[in-house]
Amino acid sequence: MFRTSALRSSHRRQNKPIPKIAFLAGSVALLAVIPVIYILIHALTGDPELWQRIIQTRLIKLFSNTLWLVLAVTTGTSLLGVSMAWLTERTDVPGRKIFRWLLALPLAIPPYIGATIHLALLRPRGGLISLWLEGNNLSFLPLPIPTGFWGAAFVLIIFSYPYVYLLSGAAFRSMNASFDEAARMLGRTPWQTFWQVTIPSIRPGITAGALLVALDMLAEYGTVALLRFETFSSAIFVQLAGRYDRSAASILSGVLILLALIILYGEFHIQGRAQFTQIGSHWRPATLIHLGKQRIWGFLALLFTVLMSFIIPVSLLMFWSTQSILDSQTFSGMQIGSRGLLSFIFNSVWSSGFAALLAVLFSIPIAIYVVRYPGKISRLFSRLSQVGYAIPGVVVALSLVMLVNRFLPFLYATPLVVVMAYVVRYIPQAVRSSESAMRQLSPSLEEASRLLKRNALQTFMQVTLPLILPGLLAGSALVFLSSLKELPATLLLRPAGFETLAVRVWIWSEEGFYFQAAPAALLLVVMSIIPLYFLLQRESIFKQ
Amino acid sequence: MHHKLMPVLAALTLILSACAGSTSQPDPISSNQNGNISGKLIVYSGRSEPLIQPVLAAFQAKYPQVEVLLKSGSNSQMANTLLEEKANPQADVFITTEVFTAHALSREGVFQSYEPVGYQNLPDAYKADDTSWAGLTQRMRVIMYNKDLVSLDELPASMFDLTDPKWKGQIAAAGSTNASMQAQIASMIQLVGQEQTEAWLNGLMENEVTFFGGHSDVRKAVGAGEFKLGLVNHYYYYLQLAEGSNVGIIYPDQAPGEMGIISNATTAAIIQGSRNPDAARAFLDFLVSAEGQKIFAEGNYEYPLLTGVTLHPDLVPTDGLSMANIELAQVVDHFDATFDLIDMANLP
Repeated sequence: MFRTSALRSSHRRQNKPIPKIAFLAGSVALLAVIPVIYILIHALTGDPELWQRIIQTRLIKLFSNTLWLVLAVTTGTSLLGVSMAWLTERTDVPGRKIFRWLLALPLAIPPYIGATIHLALLRPRGGLISLWLEGNNLSFLPLPIPTGFWGAAFVLIIFSYPYVYLLSGAAFRSMNASFDEAARMLGRTPWQTFWQVTIPSIRPGITAGALLVALDMLAEYGTVALLRFETFSSAIFVQLAGRYDRSAASILSGVLILLALIILYGEFHIQGRAQFTQIGSHWRPATLIHLGKQRIWGFLALLFTVLMSFIIPVSLLMFWSTQSILDSQTFSGMQIGSRGLLSFIFNSVWSSGFAALLAVLFSIPIAIYVVRYPGKISRLFSRLSQVGYAIPGVVVALSLVMLVNRFLPFLYATPLVVVMAYVVRYIPQAVRSSESAMRQLSPSLEEASRLLKRNALQTFMQVTLPLILPGLLAGSALVFLSSLKELPATLLLRPAGFETLAVRVWIWSEEGFYFQAAPAALLLVVMSIIPLYFLLQRESIFKQ
Repeated sequence: MHHKLMPVLAALTLILSACAGSTSQPDPISSNQNGNISGKLIVYSGRSEPLIQPVLAAFQAKYPQVEVLLKSGSNSQMANTLLEEKANPQADVFITTEVFTAHALSREGVFQSYEPVGYQNLPDAYKADDTSWAGLTQRMRVIMYNKDLVSLDELPASMFDLTDPKWKGQIAAAGSTNASMQAQIASMIQLVGQEQTEAWLNGLMENEVTFFGGHSDVRKAVGAGEFKLGLVNHYYYYLQLAEGSNVGIIYPDQAPGEMGIISNATTAAIIQGSRNPDAARAFLDFLVSAEGQKIFAEGNYEYPLLTGVTLHPDLVPTDGLSMANIELAQVVDHFDATFDLIDMANLP
């Protein structure tokens, strides 16, 4: 027994020497997990008395608040996302080609901007809708309370459903018509077919999307703070603005990370299976379902969703922006210290761009290692490098403040720390894009290059890189988009004078200065649409 | 030891450089006024941005060579940052919304001593014994109300009336991250004791008070009629009034035997290890000068601490009001108790 296993391991060592790329990949994985480990150690070694006080006073409420919100938003986004995808992919609803695009565009609106607009419209007595009702003697009509659990859940659902919509849309698109037809031939009604065949075959896509939404919700700060529903992320912020002690914040962060790691683990598990809807040679698209007279309802559902999640918010932002630019007093109020709007734009662009570049560079060794040397270690490295998905921005910030100030004081209070936070948090997106780009590249091309006496670096530069470049660009667009919208880490880590559009939108809306916030918010949305457009063009559902 | 030597060294350097220069300036401070100050001035501020930006802009206009970089947040968030940066200081000046944070940080050695021009004309209650910080403007904790919704005869007269169930769901206030609110709780612990303060906080929670992130939101909500009452600093009432809302102000706890109005002051201090002490000093001089004080008084409706600066005509002079007797050093010792109470009451 002992002998065979010893033999086997020596055999393996002979066959597979540790490739150099493994060291690079290992360093990236290590960099990605340091902030998590640091904060976990900090939390676990916290004062037991403090732990006890937190458990007694805050923990149970935070747990239930956070979990209910995650549950409500994942359920809501799944229902909305799947039905929108079904309508646009599987039915003959009018205008579906345009709706396909419009339904994905809310990804350009960070939920905290959505929450600001939601508040400005619905605040009892102060909101635009409330005022309009009052002006028309309709104030007896009840309006929903915009804040609290339902307000937060509503806003987060209508601005997060596109994740599920895109993934399930792709799954609907690649579904083979023969499945549905077989079910119909066996006597199932369309309704039974939908639940027994269609939904199970797109389930991995939905679940993957829903779990990503769940991770996002754990990290969400702006919306819950603005709509006053306390979750872990906002409670950590409150702790940071309380007594002169970071321990309580660290403890809450530790608990939050553990919660997120569980969800991330589930996501890893499902992720491998999400790709089983592959297009074989005998694939043909499923026939469209004719809605007949019901078409109008499908159309209205699409229109309503698009109005709520994109058209109304953007129109309002445009309206307010115009007003605030016309009003010189508001416009001059956009100056912070000696810096103005141009500086905010510049900071947003370069920090997000730099983060995108670094994240993609770091993701390359991981991708090469895990695709070309599949095994337990390479998979472990790949997963470790994706731990950032589970670290909410406020936790990344807390961890980096302590780490950098202690070990890299010369970097402290430079914008580079903000960039570091983006990289740690969003490198998973780059890793996934780079991995999938590598997977599509046949190893025989690289082998041919090596046979032609090119060394590893030359092969990479001359063969691999040009071929995976589109995938890398997609990864960087994704990181750029996410960094542009990032709020909590930027808020905590920015040095004085380093204001981004996201930070400005937040500070102004938190104080209720909606007019001042509008131009920055609109710019943020417009700038996000550019990388988003590039990303969407690559999605199968937008290819005709 | 260290911080006592600093001003001496600084003065020596200034004298030496003045001697080296052709024009001899009689004192180091007036050499600040010649506009030769340049570089970056990093200001950390716990104040709401719109209330501090005008004075920054005026300073900037006076010293165009200086680039003012502002980072604003809540007082304690900034205080935490300053403590963390003690070994690696980044900021030049810290502006707070209340004196307790300044006093606590001064104890930790975060500030360096400096006597701005006019320092001797500030009231003793609002400056540090060791000249490590200076008070700028005074503010009072008041209750504002919407005149369309509340009649004169039902007005609350005391902070403690806010826990009366008849106001359930009708009150807006700033949350526990707001320094003025923290300071009010700390002051109340000194004035009426921990038990009564705790009962008051629990009463607010039971009365379903809505807690916002900042006071601008509170004043706008009361102005719009979303709430009947708002617990604010006095100038938020005036700012809302100036926007045309039908709002009124209550100076609470005026009856004999009641605690009186809780007042506080904004402060400014120079950070120990500031990289641009010249600009920092010029900035503090400007904040305490009649010119700077006037901006706070006219734009923000605050009470200037420098004697001789005229109040905004709409302001009620403090002379006729009964003010609470707050002991600075004592209140700072109540800081931990304050945050314990906030935790226990689950104040958002």
